[in-house]
Amino acid sequence: MKFARPFCGWLGLFFLLVFSAKAADEIPYKKYGYTPAQAAARLIDRFSFGAKPGQVAAVVAMGIDNWFEQQLEGNQPNAALDKRLANFKSLQLNNDSIVNRYLNAGQVIRLATRNGLLNRDSIQADQAAYRAQVRQLMEQQGYLPIQELHRELVVQKVLRAAYSNNQLQEVLTDFWFNHFNVSATKNQCQQFIYTYERDAIRPNVLGSFKDLLLATAKHPAMLEYLDNASSVSLRNAPRMYNNAPRNARGLNENYAREVMELHTLGVDGGYTQADVTAVARALTGWTVMQGNFLFRPRMHDNEAKTILNKNFPANGGYQEGIDVLTMLAEHPSTAQFICTKLATRFVSDTPSASLIKNMVKTFQSTGGNIKEVLRTMVHDPSFWKKSAPHEKVKSPFELVISAVRATNAQIVQPFQLFNWCTKMGQRFYYYQAPTGFPDRASYWINTGSLLNRMNFGLAFASQKIPGVRMDLAALNNYHEPESAIDALNVYSNLLLPQRDHSANIKRLIPLVNDEAVEEKINKASDLSANKQGETMMDLNKTNPAEEKISLEKGSKTLLSQVVGIIIGSPEFQRK
Amino acid sequence: MSSRRAFMRSGAMALFATGIAGGIPAFITRAAAAALPPAPYKRNKVLVCIFQRGAMDGLMAVTPFTDMELKKARPTLFMDPTNSSGKLFDLDGQFGLHPGFASLQPFFADKRLAIAHGVGSPNNTRSHFDAQDYMESGTPFSKSTSSGWLNRAVGLMGHDASPFRAVSITGALPRSLYGNEEALAISNLEDFALQTKGNPMAANITAGSFEELYEQTSNRLLNRAGKESFEAMKMLNPNDIKNYKPLAGVAYPNSPLGNSLKQIAMLIKMNIGLEVAFAENGGWDTHFNQGTLNGVFARNVRDFSDSIAAFWNDMSAYQDDVTLMTMTEFGRTVAQNGTGGTDHGRASCSFVLGNAVQGGKVYHQIGSLAKDQLEDQRDLPVTTDFRSVFSGVANKHLGINNNSVLFPKWEGKSLEIIR
Repeated sequence: MKFARPFCGWLGLFFLLVFSAKAADEIPYKKYGYTPAQAAARLIDRFSFGAKPGQVAAVVAMGIDNWFEQQLEGNQPNAALDKRLANFKSLQLNNDSIVNRYLNAGQVIRLATRNGLLNRDSIQADQAAYRAQVRQLMEQQGYLPIQELHRELVVQKVLRAAYSNNQLQEVLTDFWFNHFNVSATKNQCQQFIYTYERDAIRPNVLGSFKDLLLATAKHPAMLEYLDNASSVSLRNAPRMYNNAPRNARGLNENYAREVMELHTLGVDGGYTQADVTAVARALTGWTVMQGNFLFRPRMHDNEAKTILNKNFPANGGYQEGIDVLTMLAEHPSTAQFICTKLATRFVSDTPSASLIKNMVKTFQSTGGNIKEVLRTMVHDPSFWKKSAPHEKVKSPFELVISAVRATNAQIVQPFQLFNWCTKMGQRFYYYQAPTGFPDRASYWINTGSLLNRMNFGLAFASQKIPGVRMDLAALNNYHEPESAIDALNVYSNLLLPQRDHSANIKRLIPLVNDEAVEEKINKASDLSANKQGETMMDLNKTNPAEEKISLEKGSKTLLSQVVGIIIGSPEFQRK
Repeated sequence: MSSRRAFMRSGAMALFATGIAGGIPAFITRAAAAALPPAPYKRNKVLVCIFQRGAMDGLMAVTPFTDMELKKARPTLFMDPTNSSGKLFDLDGQFGLHPGFASLQPFFADKRLAIAHGVGSPNNTRSHFDAQDYMESGTPFSKSTSSGWLNRAVGLMGHDASPFRAVSITGALPRSLYGNEEALAISNLEDFALQTKGNPMAANITAGSFEELYEQTSNRLLNRAGKESFEAMKMLNPNDIKNYKPLAGVAYPNSPLGNSLKQIAMLIKMNIGLEVAFAENGGWDTHFNQGTLNGVFARNVRDFSDSIAAFWNDMSAYQDDVTLMTMTEFGRTVAQNGTGGTDHGRASCSFVLGNAVQGGKVYHQIGSLAKDQLEDQRDLPVTTDFRSVFSGVANKHLGINNNSVLFPKWEGKSLEIIR
C-alpha cells in the first residue's frame, strides 16, 4: 500500500522542524512586494490544485516556508482519503494479478476459445446472446472487464487531487506522468497505467530524476506503449524468433528515440539517428513477462556500441541499459530540458533564461534532485515577477479540482468530473501521443473548450453535476451576508483569495441587486431541476459502493448562480 | 477583422438575395431575412475525412476478383460478380465492389468516386494504435510528432480563423487534429451553447455576464477566445440544429457515422468557415465470422456507404466545394483465418468522392496475390503510400502546395486523383 503511510506523519513533522531550521534562506516574497497572504496564495495556486476556504490564512499562520517544506516532504497523513481509496479493488494489486484478472474483450475471447469454453463458430459480434455468454463466462472465471480498471484509475486521480494533503506530490504526479506519458488508448499497455503511476511515478516525483527515468523505463506500461517490449536483436539470437513476443520482428527504435527526444535530452539535445539505433540496441531484451519487467539475454544485442561518443563494450547485458539511461539522466542537455519544462509548468509559459540557468545549476550540482530544483525555483526573482500575475491558465483538470477545493465540494461520483474534463479537452490517461498534453495556455483555451468551462462553472455551482455536492452557505459558516454586495465580496474572496475581484463584482452587482432577476433565476432552476430530476441520479452511475446523495433544495439559489459565474469567469481560469 | 467579417457577411447576404446558392435550408433564409449573421465567412473548400477504425478489409471491400490466388486463400469469404458467388459490382473487369456499396456505386459509375487501392504505410506495424498514430500524425517513423496532418493542413491554408475551421464530430480531439491550429471536438452540435436548460431568461443573464467578463479580462488569450466563443454561439442556434431537415428525399442512417455526417452537412450549409471535418467509423476489426453478403462486414459496409451517399446527396448545392476521403490504418491478411475472419495485414483502400475527382477508376499497382508475392508471405503489399493519396487530395482540393510541411521527411509523389 504505497499511498497509505499515516505512520510517517510524526516522523515527517520531526524532519520538517529540522528542515525548516536548516533552510535559513527564507522564500524572498517580501523583497518583491508580496504580503504574506499574497505569497501564500501564489504558492498554493502553483503548487497545489487550488486553495481551500481558509487555507491562505492557515498557511500564513503556519509559516509560508514551513508549508512549502511540508509539501516538498509529501508525507502528510491522509486517513480519510486512504479509507475511501481502500474501497477500490484494483488499487492494491500488482501487475501479475492485474493481467490475470482485468481483461479486454479480445483477451476474454482468446482465453475462452483456447480453454474450449466458447465455441469458435458461435462467435458473432453485436449479438446480445453472445455478449451474455461472455459475461457469464467472465463471472465464472472471476475475470473483470478492463473498463473497471479504467474507472478506478480515473476515480483515484480525481479523489487524490481533490483531497490529498500532499498536494504538491499530486501536482507533480500529474506533471511527471504527462512528461513520461503512456496512454490507455493503446491496448497493450492499458492494464498497466495505474501501477505505472503508483509504482514508477508517484514514489519518485520529489526524488532524483534518474530514479524516475529508470522506473519508467522498466515499467511494462512504458515498455509496451513505446514498443521496447517487442524490440529484438536479430544478430545473436535468431532462434529467439519462436519464443519472442508475437509482434517481435526485430529492432524497434520507438522508445530509444523518445527517451532522448521527450524524456531526457530534448529534440535539440545533440543526438543523432546513429545514437537512436545504438540506444535501441542497448535496450533490446528489456521486455515484459506476465506483467513484469524481464531482461531476456537472448533478445539482447551483445555487441559493442557507441552512444553519444561514449563506448559501451561488448557483453554489457542488462547493466548496459542502466548505464545508458544513467548517462542520459546526467547529460547537460537533460538538465536544461527538464528545468525548462518544470519552469514552464510552475512559473510561466515562457520562463526567463536566468531562472532556467539557476535551476540547471542546482539540477547538476545535486544529481538531478527535484526537490532542490523546486527550492531554487521559488527563491528566484522570476517566480515572484509581478508584471504578469496569474498568467498560467489552468488545465481542465486543474479547473475542475480547484472548483471542488474552493467550495469544499463532496465528490460522490468522481467519474462525472472526468467526463467534464474530456469535454473541456483533457481526457486524461488517454492522450495518444508520447509528448503528453502540451503545457501552454493556447492549447487549453479555444472556442469550444472555453464555452464548456463556462458551462462547467454553471453546472457545478447549481449542483447539476450528478454526484458532486456542496453547501455554499456552509462556506461562510452559515452567516447570512449583510447585503447582497457583501455576499458578492465574501464569495469572491472565498473562491479566489487574494485576487483582483473588481471586474467580477462590477458585473455581478446589478445581478444581485435585482430581485426580479433572482426570481427569474430561481424559476429557471426549478423548471430545469424538475425536468432533469429523474435522469440525473442514475446517469452514468459509476460505483454501487458509492452512496447516493439526494438533491438538496439549496441548489436553486441566486448564490449558486453567482458562484457559477465566478467559476466560469476568466479570473478563475488562471492560477 | 470585424469590418472584414462584416463585409463578407453582407456579401453572403447578396448571394442569398440573388439565389445563387441553391438549396438553402429554411433556417438560413429565415436568419438572413432577420438580418442575423448567418454566414460571416466566405465559402471555402471543405475536406471531410472519415477514419475507419479497426482496419477495413480492403480486399473484401474492393475485391481483385480475377485473381484466383485470392479465391484459394479465402474459401468461404471470396466473392465475384457472378450471381452464384456474391454479385459484386464489377468496376473494371478486375475489381469488384462489395454489394453493400449499392448506394455509392452510382457515384463510381458517374466518375465522381475514385478508389485508391494497395494504400498503406511504409511502417509495417500491425498494431492498430501505432498504425493509426502514424497515419494521423503523418509521420510513419516518428511518434513524437506533436501535430496531426489535418491540423498542419489547416495551418498551411492560413485562412481567417473561424472557430469552426476544423471540427471533429467526436468526444475527444483525434490525433489527426492535434496541433497549433484551433480545432474543435464536439460530439453533438446542440451542446454548443451555454447550458442553463429550461429558461432562456436565465441563459441570457448568464451569457451577458460571461460575455462582459471575458471582454474585460487582461489576459489576451482568454479575451480573444471569449469573444470568439460568443460569436460562434450566435452562429449556431441550437433550435435550428435540433430541427435540421436534410434535403427532401435524403435519409441519413441512424448510426454514429450517419449522425456525424449529418452534423457536418449542417456546418457546411451554415457557411461558418468549416474547412476540415473529421468523423469516425468503427467496427472494422473483423477477426471473427466476417461474413460475405451478410454479416458484420456487410452491415458495416452498408452503413458506411449509405451514410456517405446520404451526406453527398444532402450536399447537392455544395458538392463543388466538398471532397470526402476515407482512411483506415491498415488492411487485413489475404488468407482468411481459422474463425471465418481476417487478421491484421498491410495495405487497404481509400475512397475519394468529389465533383473534381477523376473517378470511376481504381488507382493501384496491385500485382498477383500468390503467396510469394505478398509482404511477409501473407499481406497485400503497400504499393501506394497513404501520404501520396492524402497529399494528392490536399494539394488539389485545398490548394496546399507545401508537402514538406504537410508530411515532413516524405519525398514521394502525390497521387493525381483530383483534377
